[in-house]
Amino acid sequence: MSQSPIEAAWQHCPWGMAVISADGSVSAFNAAYGEHLCLSRDDLLGKSEADLDALTAPLPQEYRRVEVLRDDVRAIHFLGDASGTEVNAKHLANIAEMLREPMASVYGFAELLLTQNYDEDTRRDLTAMLLEQVEAMSNIINQEFDSHKWGAPAAVPQLPTPLTQPDPGESR
Amino acid sequence: MKRVLIVDDHSSIRKMIRLALSNRFALEEAGNADVAYAQILAERPDGIVLDVMMPGSMNGFQLCERIKRDRALALMHVVLITACGQIEDQELGRAVGADAYFVKPFSPLALARHLGEALRIGPDGRAA
Repeated sequence: MSQSPIEAAWQHCPWGMAVISADGSVSAFNAAYGEHLCLSRDDLLGKSEADLDALTAPLPQEYRRVEVLRDDVRAIHFLGDASGTEVNAKHLANIAEMLREPMASVYGFAELLLTQNYDEDTRRDLTAMLLEQVEAMSNIINQEFDSHKWGAPAAVPQLPTPLTQPDPGESR
Repeated sequence: MKRVLIVDDHSSIRKMIRLALSNRFALEEAGNADVAYAQILAERPDGIVLDVMMPGSMNGFQLCERIKRDRALALMHVVLITACGQIEDQELGRAVGADAYFVKPFSPLALARHLGEALRIGPDGRAA
């Protein structure tokens, strides 16, 4: 059976489109939307809007949400290729958000270590967590600024050895 | 002792906040908004430190809105902590009724001071 013009436009539109039903879950999406997210029909149908926000947030594609005033449709999510400048700006904003998480731990643990009187075990534990978070930041930078995403030469990993603390007993 | 629920999917952030608040408040933790909502209904904490971007059916904005729209829960003091540092994100936080908005990275001691003032608790954990 041949497609209607509306069905053909829906299926072949380069913008990804997902329909959010009145209950807040994905009730339909076109081929481009699934391709942008690299997810199958079973993976996407029924997901909540919060799930979609989490899935689309790291993507460099331009994202829009349009509220729809219908009983059976709450909104339509659009996902498409933006210009290079827009992609880079959005990608940079995403990287900033990703870095803020480990940075928050580094800032917080450093402040606590500086101002509070913890016992030696707690200080060692916090210092180890600090180093873990610095390593997480380094990994984000290495992954997000690789040559595939930015067209730049690949970066050399900055942390050449595992971050471990010396055993106090070994220093003698 | 006043009770505070810490909601964040990063265990290191929860631990950091726990260390900063533990001498003033009784603390509970949740790793996502769905678990947090169940705890809020059951435990009725006085304050909630709530991350925004988390896995699950709700993000922090949506949970905050749900709390503030419920008369039985609306007086809980909600502090959003988030990696979303854009002006529009802060405006959204205000729109859903958050009482305060801390952008990561933030000072855990400043968070403790803020909650102490908001819940009228001194540095020793007693009513100020």
